[in-house]
Amino acid sequence: MEDLVKYLGNPRNQDAVLELLVVHARLALVPLLLGLLAALPIGWAAQRYRRLRAMVLGASNVMYTVPSLALFVILPGLLGTKILDELNVVVALAIYTAALLVRPVVDALDALPGHVLAASTAMGYRPLRRALTVELPLAVPVLAAGVRVASVSNISLVSVGALIGVGGLGQLFTEGFQNSYNPPIVVGIALTLALALVVDLLLVGTLRLLTPWQAGRPTARSAA
Amino acid sequence: MFPQLADWLTDPANWTGDGGLLQRIAEHLRYTIIAVFGAALFAVPVGLAVGHTGRGATVVVGLANAMRALPTLGVITLLSLQFGVLKVGPVLLGLGILAVPPILAGAYAGVQSVDRAAVDAAAGVGMTSWQRLWKVEVPIAMPLLLGGLRGAVLQVVATATVAAYVGLGGLGRPLLDGLRVTDYPRVAGAAVVVALLALLLDLGLAGVQRGVVPRGLRLASGPRSPRRRGPFSWGGNRLVEPADQAGIRS
Amino acid sequence: MIEFRAVTKRFPDGTVAVDALDLVADSGKITVLVGPSGCGKTTSLRMINRMIEPSDGTILIDDLDIRSANPAVLRRGIGYVIQQAGLFPHRTVLDNVATVPMLTGWGRRRARARAAELLELVGLPTAMGRRYPAQLSGGQQQRVGVARALAADPPVLLMDEPFSAVDPVVREGLQDELLRLQSELGKTVVFVTHDIDEAIKLGDRVAVLREGGRLAQFAPPAELLARPADDFVASFVGRDRGYRALSFVGADGLTVHPLRTVAVGDAVPAVDEWSLAVDPAGRPRGWLPPGSAADQLTEDVLVPGGSLYTQGGPLRGALDAALSSPAGRGAVVDADGKLAGGVDAAEVLALLSAQRDGS
Repeated sequence: MEDLVKYLGNPRNQDAVLELLVVHARLALVPLLLGLLAALPIGWAAQRYRRLRAMVLGASNVMYTVPSLALFVILPGLLGTKILDELNVVVALAIYTAALLVRPVVDALDALPGHVLAASTAMGYRPLRRALTVELPLAVPVLAAGVRVASVSNISLVSVGALIGVGGLGQLFTEGFQNSYNPPIVVGIALTLALALVVDLLLVGTLRLLTPWQAGRPTARSAA
Repeated sequence: MFPQLADWLTDPANWTGDGGLLQRIAEHLRYTIIAVFGAALFAVPVGLAVGHTGRGATVVVGLANAMRALPTLGVITLLSLQFGVLKVGPVLLGLGILAVPPILAGAYAGVQSVDRAAVDAAAGVGMTSWQRLWKVEVPIAMPLLLGGLRGAVLQVVATATVAAYVGLGGLGRPLLDGLRVTDYPRVAGAAVVVALLALLLDLGLAGVQRGVVPRGLRLASGPRSPRRRGPFSWGGNRLVEPADQAGIRS
Repeated sequence: MIEFRAVTKRFPDGTVAVDALDLVADSGKITVLVGPSGCGKTTSLRMINRMIEPSDGTILIDDLDIRSANPAVLRRGIGYVIQQAGLFPHRTVLDNVATVPMLTGWGRRRARARAAELLELVGLPTAMGRRYPAQLSGGQQQRVGVARALAADPPVLLMDEPFSAVDPVVREGLQDELLRLQSELGKTVVFVTHDIDEAIKLGDRVAVLREGGRLAQFAPPAELLARPADDFVASFVGRDRGYRALSFVGADGLTVHPLRTVAVGDAVPAVDEWSLAVDPAGRPRGWLPPGSAADQLTEDVLVPGGSLYTQGGPLRGALDAALSSPAGRGAVVDADGKLAGGVDAAEVLALLSAQRDGS
């Protein structure tokens, strides 16, 4: 315990830890956004065109099943980057997130009430406008659930990446282990939990903002 | 890079013998199976109980979510420092913690997915609580339960590379050793083998999951038809289960 | 016999679902609980098999306090049919029906044989036993639900809005089935519905409950229609009480007049009154208006007739046949559907007043 206080009291450690936290957040959340942006059109197309659907879902399943650590390692060969390049990590996790989110996008669009869509078309909405202003908002609750899971997943994956040297809070674990010193590890665990919690709360808050009509309901339920 | 990778993978010397891929695969699978089995011993009864009685859901859900956010590497390094490096315990415990949330979610979601009218009727015809659980709820819950197990297996297979970091075996060994000596074909080879292992296990478990769907449910058509594959089929892979979306995380 | 003695159910949030209910459901009869939503009818029903426990009061089945029995054992001796059937989707229809016998220790073969008998009893082909509930229509599922409830031959049958979720045509068929089964089996049935017409059709005695779980009136349907206890019951029973009460009045002494008939295909007679066209089997096909311009009697010349009154049925049928006929005279048929004659609306009313004077 007093080791922990000593560790945290040292300003150099504080700076280092803070920077690792920032890097970790960046490495986890940027791919989250990119993955979501990629998954939306892909999922939309897969839901709309029957022939694409099976193929897209199968491909995303495969991408998602491949362990991310393997992706971190294999991608450089394809991208020409180094393993530890931030770009490599971001691309790998973005692919991962996209693969994870395609399914919720499809499910969310599947679950859209048909009569609402028919009404909007009857009112004169063209496909793109309808997609953006009617389908997307209604799909948000189901999507949000998937995004929340993806966020925890990414945060966790970045920390595992420390095994091969990826930056972020995982480095506290490797540092602590190598020096047989507990405090960094404890701090790392605590901050990872805190980061996951904060991101989750932010996502829930955003969800509530985006879907004011859900205000009375207890939870957001998926179409599963 | 790829020709070297291919050479490395096709060289039998890398497969057989002490420290060869076959041995590493066996170790990797051993950690996975024990961790998932141990997690299931805890998570399946708890998930079934919470789903069946409807009580304790908030507590258990909170617990599962907290476990999900725990960084496995952190847990394992901390425990290893406490209980000694090269001990299997910390690794198994860490991987077990990783496996609990998906299994818990799968069991819970499975029981919750049973038609409420059927459960009411089961009580009404005179089944005891126990009989209701085993004769009606569990058989119908099997696909989602297995989906949870499937997700857990995949998570653990992916993360069991961590074992090598604290001095044990598994496919993490060639990965980390190769990194240390910048033998990239070895690193990539290990990565490919892990990926293939994960894919094969997923395929196999997907088949089991399909096989376990009661015939009466398979015949039900419509959006609830358990004919979907992919990360989300019946509790799907890893972290993402319908349970997550349906409220276990809300 | 099922007896409610001052039974009350209070829920934790304060709502009183059932308020000091005193009721006796006679053995071998159908007792219907009917009322608006929130009147406690389903709650009352579910207290009989201890799916819900009363807050106060006692429920006795054949003079035995239900609390003295283990709930699961109690329920195996009571048939339970619910609105959505609640069939077990993972079991075949046959195994669904065989559930209670198997629970009470019959062997699988014996239980399945019994289940097959029951499928026949409720009017389903035994081949259906091999199917799964998902493959059945709503009406078929309900029949299976009834078969399952009857499998262990329980003396008591509880039915909670069992026919509400199916369409009206299927519902009528199921109601008729229930009446037929009851005439064969003579169970003590407690039936819950929100539909007063269903209650009147099925019930030997009907209990009308008001919101807040209090009993407004408990009487045979004819009495409910003729002498509702208060305004609530009167409005709940609905309009056309007088007319509907005729369902309970016999038609003895009603004169059946001979009717002028023509056969399809005959030449059109030149007469000044309506004629009833019949087919070769003697069944009514429609009315031929007087002074028709056609030569040959074909189907399209005919005016469709009103309802048919089957001989031996209640007076309501006779009145409706007379009122709905374009010719002013109702067509009367026998049990095979063959024309027996005609009835006049005026004579129906005359008979009614004669009965009232005489009684």
